[in-house]
Amino acid sequence: MTAARALGFEDVRVRRGRREVLRVPELSVHEGETVAVLGPNGAGKSSLLLTAALLLPVTSGTVSLFGEPARPRELVKLRRQTSTVFQEPALLDMNVRRNLETALSLHGVRRGERRERSEAWLGRLGVAHLAAAMPHTLSGGEARRVSLARAFAIRPRMLFLDEPFSALDVETRAELVGDLRALLRDEGTTALLVTHDHSEAQLLADRSLVLLEGAPAQLAPTADLLEAPESPEVAAFLGYSVVPRRDLPAPIAEALGGALIGVPPAAVRLADGGATAEVTAVQGAHGQGRLLLRIGNATLAAALSVTEIGARELHPGARVEIEVDPGLLVSWPSEQA
Amino acid sequence: MDLIFEGLREAWRLLSTGDGDIYEITVRTAVITGTSTLVALAIGMPIGLGLALARFPGQRGFVALANAGTGTPPVVAGLLVAILLWRSGPLGSLGLIYTPAAIVIAQALIATPIIIAITAAAVMALPPTLHLQVRAMGADQRQYLWLIAREARLPLLVAVMAGFGAVVSEVGASMMVGGNLSGETRVLTTAAVLEVSRGNFGAALALGFILLAFIVAIAAVLTTVQQRARRR
Repeated sequence: MTAARALGFEDVRVRRGRREVLRVPELSVHEGETVAVLGPNGAGKSSLLLTAALLLPVTSGTVSLFGEPARPRELVKLRRQTSTVFQEPALLDMNVRRNLETALSLHGVRRGERRERSEAWLGRLGVAHLAAAMPHTLSGGEARRVSLARAFAIRPRMLFLDEPFSALDVETRAELVGDLRALLRDEGTTALLVTHDHSEAQLLADRSLVLLEGAPAQLAPTADLLEAPESPEVAAFLGYSVVPRRDLPAPIAEALGGALIGVPPAAVRLADGGATAEVTAVQGAHGQGRLLLRIGNATLAAALSVTEIGARELHPGARVEIEVDPGLLVSWPSEQA
Repeated sequence: MDLIFEGLREAWRLLSTGDGDIYEITVRTAVITGTSTLVALAIGMPIGLGLALARFPGQRGFVALANAGTGTPPVVAGLLVAILLWRSGPLGSLGLIYTPAAIVIAQALIATPIIIAITAAAVMALPPTLHLQVRAMGADQRQYLWLIAREARLPLLVAVMAGFGAVVSEVGASMMVGGNLSGETRVLTTAAVLEVSRGNFGAALALGFILLAFIVAIAAVLTTVQQRARRR
């Protein structure tokens, strides 16, 4: 049985200033699921989240929460069934406990219960010892934990998360993603998560939506989306090298049909005895490296640890031998697809 | 130098013997400036909040107008109020000219743009995410305004101080619309001007000291409130 619809978009269009930033013909998030919104900078991810959280008015169309269309008079009532966590923790200039208690008071929770729930949630997020601290004294990770505690304390039916862990160090980010995953599972909270990070989407989201130029390009279970992008545009956004079949050397080009081939970085391995390619660029972030390799008339990206890149002393102009795993390739019938 | 020491001695004598006129003028000054500041706050803060938060055509123009208004010369404000309240003026029938109420109106006119401009600037300086967060937390319009004003409370106290500072130190408007009538509309600044014109530098200095002490006391109270708010 399909779960009830928690969030619905029908023919939604949103303008900010003179620019149309969002065009969503249809979108449904079902109760209990987490949907990640992925997309390049400027794709409209945050606009989508703000619209869903009823913080950005639609130009046309309907947004509904829990089956109720968001009419102007209903906005406050509907928002009180949700919580939003922004990229910046946006804590109020009052101590940590009062931040939670203020959120609870806005939801009509009685005074006695406010302290109890605040302390319980601060404890669950591991920041109970910071109850009396002022926000400006908190580290980035602590502030995110308090922000999450405040969001969960009101027991939202739906949670909106706008890149909540950006600008954190890798270790803190990994811990918080793990904690959020456990909380979403334990509480059964429906969530819409905007993220740049595919691994975050993999860990947290049942389904993921790729947004390109303000419009949904693909919505699918996260693993399916990452392994089988439906269009070259989605594949390119996900880091695939999208190349015309004719530009690839024969062994790779013959692996599967279609005019356009999508090669994920994970499909390209350095292997002695493989096809020869030339390194054109070495890139990397957060311990993960990426080589851009020229092979035939195509440029392919290969995922490689920065340790291996260093050990092999790979620089632009170096020649390497590679293998491509045909099982990971995707293809599309037309170059205009 | 003798003139200064003579003035200081006279000032000390007047203050230590508890001169009745000086105390009456001081109390009147406190009541009039306090009322003017409160009136300016009651008008200026909501307008400042509205200017910062509402979206409407010409919003920038209104903000610029409020900013320009911070430089309103007290004499111009006094002249405007005097014309309005003059016996043959549009509001002359109210009989307010040369009354403390007229001074309150003129002083409120001076302080209101200052409070509007500082309030608007304080609220506009808050991070945009904070506004969204308060709305996202389920605040209705009243709760939203309260929480936003609370977040801007430190600069809003600056607005109070600036408004009070402007009215307590002005003399032109009080003189023009109050008339410096003994026992009725004489305040510390107008009394000091009068004493200087009479060559009574001791009395003028005494009034000056009281005025300074008054301003320092109010600033101390507001600063204490501000610092407490910062620590909370």
